Amino acid sequence: MITNRDKILSAVTKPTRYTGGELNCVMKDPSSVDVRFAFCFADTYEIAMSHLGLKILYHTLNERSDTYCERVFAPWTDMEEEMKKYGMRLFALETGDEVTHFDMMGFTLQYELCYSNIVNMLNLADIPVRSRDRDETYPIICGGGPCAYNAEPVADIFDFFMMGEGEEIIHEVVDEYVKWKKSGKTNKRDYLKSIARIEGVYVPSFYDVEYNGDGTVKSVTPNDPNAKSKIRKRVMKDFDGAYTPETIIVPFGEVVHDRVMLEVMRGCLRGCRFCQAGYIYRPLRERTPQRLLSVADKLLKCSGYDEISLSSLSTSDFKGLRELTDGLLEITEEKKIGLSLPSLRIDNFSLELMEKVQKVRKTGITFAPEAGTQRLRDVINKNINEDDILKSTDMLFRGGWTNVKLYFMIGLPTETMDDVRGIAELAQKVLDVYFAIPKEERAKQINITVSTSSFVPKPFTAFQWAKQDTRDMLIEKQNELKSAIKSRRIRYNWHDNKTSYLEGVFARGDRRLCDVIIKAVENGCKFDGWGEHFDFYTWMKTFDELGIDPDFYTARERSYDETLPWDHIDTGVTKKFLINENEKAKKAQTTPNCREKCSGCGASSFGSGVCYE
Amino acid sequence: MSNYILKYSRDERVKYISHLDFVRLFHRAVRRSDINFVFSQGFNPHPVMTVAQPLSVGVTSDCEYMKVGFDGDYSEDELVSALNAVMPPGYKILAARIAEGREIDLTKLDRAVYTVELEYEGVADTGSLMQRDELIVMKKSKSGVKESDIRPYIYSLETLHDDGKILTLRMCLASGGAYNLKPRSVADAMEKYSDNFKAGFMNVHRNSIMCVDKEPF
Repeated sequence: MITNRDKILSAVTKPTRYTGGELNCVMKDPSSVDVRFAFCFADTYEIAMSHLGLKILYHTLNERSDTYCERVFAPWTDMEEEMKKYGMRLFALETGDEVTHFDMMGFTLQYELCYSNIVNMLNLADIPVRSRDRDETYPIICGGGPCAYNAEPVADIFDFFMMGEGEEIIHEVVDEYVKWKKSGKTNKRDYLKSIARIEGVYVPSFYDVEYNGDGTVKSVTPNDPNAKSKIRKRVMKDFDGAYTPETIIVPFGEVVHDRVMLEVMRGCLRGCRFCQAGYIYRPLRERTPQRLLSVADKLLKCSGYDEISLSSLSTSDFKGLRELTDGLLEITEEKKIGLSLPSLRIDNFSLELMEKVQKVRKTGITFAPEAGTQRLRDVINKNINEDDILKSTDMLFRGGWTNVKLYFMIGLPTETMDDVRGIAELAQKVLDVYFAIPKEERAKQINITVSTSSFVPKPFTAFQWAKQDTRDMLIEKQNELKSAIKSRRIRYNWHDNKTSYLEGVFARGDRRLCDVIIKAVENGCKFDGWGEHFDFYTWMKTFDELGIDPDFYTARERSYDETLPWDHIDTGVTKKFLINENEKAKKAQTTPNCREKCSGCGASSFGSGVCYE
Repeated sequence: MSNYILKYSRDERVKYISHLDFVRLFHRAVRRSDINFVFSQGFNPHPVMTVAQPLSVGVTSDCEYMKVGFDGDYSEDELVSALNAVMPPGYKILAARIAEGREIDLTKLDRAVYTVELEYEGVADTGSLMQRDELIVMKKSKSGVKESDIRPYIYSLETLHDDGKILTLRMCLASGGAYNLKPRSVADAMEKYSDNFKAGFMNVHRNSIMCVDKEPF
């Protein structure tokens, strides 16, 4: 039978993005559940299916017999056109049903540049974008993930946000939903009241924001008796025992991370001052090698994947690394499975490990010194020194590696042109290390790639008060670096500063940006994370149209007295600690990592992890 | 180790999977089973398998064939049930044959039977089309889009059903390395050689692949 679905799918690229039916996806009878939940990721299938959080929440929700969680992703532009042509609305992958009247939709907010896609997806679903325009016949729309910590720019869109780790809280809000639905589901506000007391739940419409004459936030005041004055993030205290799926959907087409991902730890003990993940996921908690090996075995068996990767913010800090990798190598060597080890510090142990896992091909190695001089690395508390890098690269070049990538940020607080030129000097020193090795002891054809991204100050970091470099300043620095790199064996890539600028606006934005985002989508903005679709001019025109100056959010150094739009959120790390870190940064003083010495950030109040080792 | 020929089908659920994605999918399926592949030698060992005539995206089929090397002696039935337990829903292994000592040469497959649903406007007349001596249409080949006389490669064409909007056709066309003719080219010819026929969207199902008039098994 000829169907519209066939006509649509035959006309688009990568149709398996939209068909569902992959191995291990969950099929249920929708009429047998109370809650139809759409797990939404506002980007393409390939990005969405690489996200670990989706895998966890999808499977834990589907273990409930009263809930059916399906996946909903942003259709690529060709698919959007076809859908509009045939009057097809945004649909869920598993059943193909439109999501317009699902019970709940949960968006994961992984990066600021996905905001336009969220609005676009709601438009495609025929769902009113603003929370206040949706009655109880529409889905309850919630959000979580790193950007939820300051989700003020999308606060008007969402009914509620979940702060912190979702494994438990998601069940609590679904439980309340079931109760509300069974009680007749008359008034959406009743549901929101019932969840507002749950730790970690933030209902933005229960808070009024007032502004000062200069545009800064004056106050954020609860307007409902159920609303907490501070919303504290959720943490899985027993991380080793916490839910982790033992099955994994295997996509038909290739996705970005097309492999088994094993989450060995959550949180990071390093305390890099620019890194939001390093602060918001505190405290560091580990899984035991035994649990991980058992999960790895099940995931590999049920998927047939030929690659497994360890996932964490800093794998070298994982105490059970040797035991885990020894165990994994037993599985992987026999079954010809590749083991990839990202975010590993280079030392003798890791080099020996890499020799074992990469028996044949020696692919590239990436270092992230982040800054070009020791002074600036001390400012950002990036605990890696020049000597480490040069010693490691010497080992690598002697071991046969020839592709070295060096990642840096430009625009960091206190950065001078000397620091920028320091990037070129460091790359040159790495090259000198190579040439200092006798020809017969090194591999041929060295390649060094220097990449810079532009620093964007993020909420809940030591630099949350900092001024972001203007685009002109960043361009000047990029040009300085270009001319400071002399060797043709060093390639330089830089990140577009327009997207960093917009990211900076939203990262520390407030509720007044909601109108801009919704209007920008009306004006045609979407897929801002994709170079071919990002339309900076239209964004700027939209800010102008609504009389909002985006520089207000980026170009100003904030004072410690200022009420920040996210001050009513509590990540466990205290503002006092962040101020202290920022002051130490100005003096280029470093802070030891959590295992060396506790610096009293506040995360120990969660009663778990590295704080109690 | 032994070489096996597998016959398998794919249905609506998985018809948008490309050939390359199918190869990867099959590798993973075998990894999920207890069957062992024969790996190629060399820098980047990969399992040895050849699909007889890779199917176009969007086409369903009852009759796909591939040759695979497995490390171990498995009975034909054992292989069929072991593989069916691990294939994603939508694929079905129909039969397996040990390749050694048998006259199965997948490169000799030279024609395929399709059932095609074709949306159209105007008047459909397949009978008069088949009476023509030549049917010259633009056809894609390795060296680009060229004119080609497809008449000799249409072995049969019949109308199974015609409701005035959708035509259901059964056609036997040349396929394989020597000359490969797709159902779309037949629709192109119908459009070109009649004054009042416009072809629209088509759904294609492959019923069988044959060597002259015989299926391999």
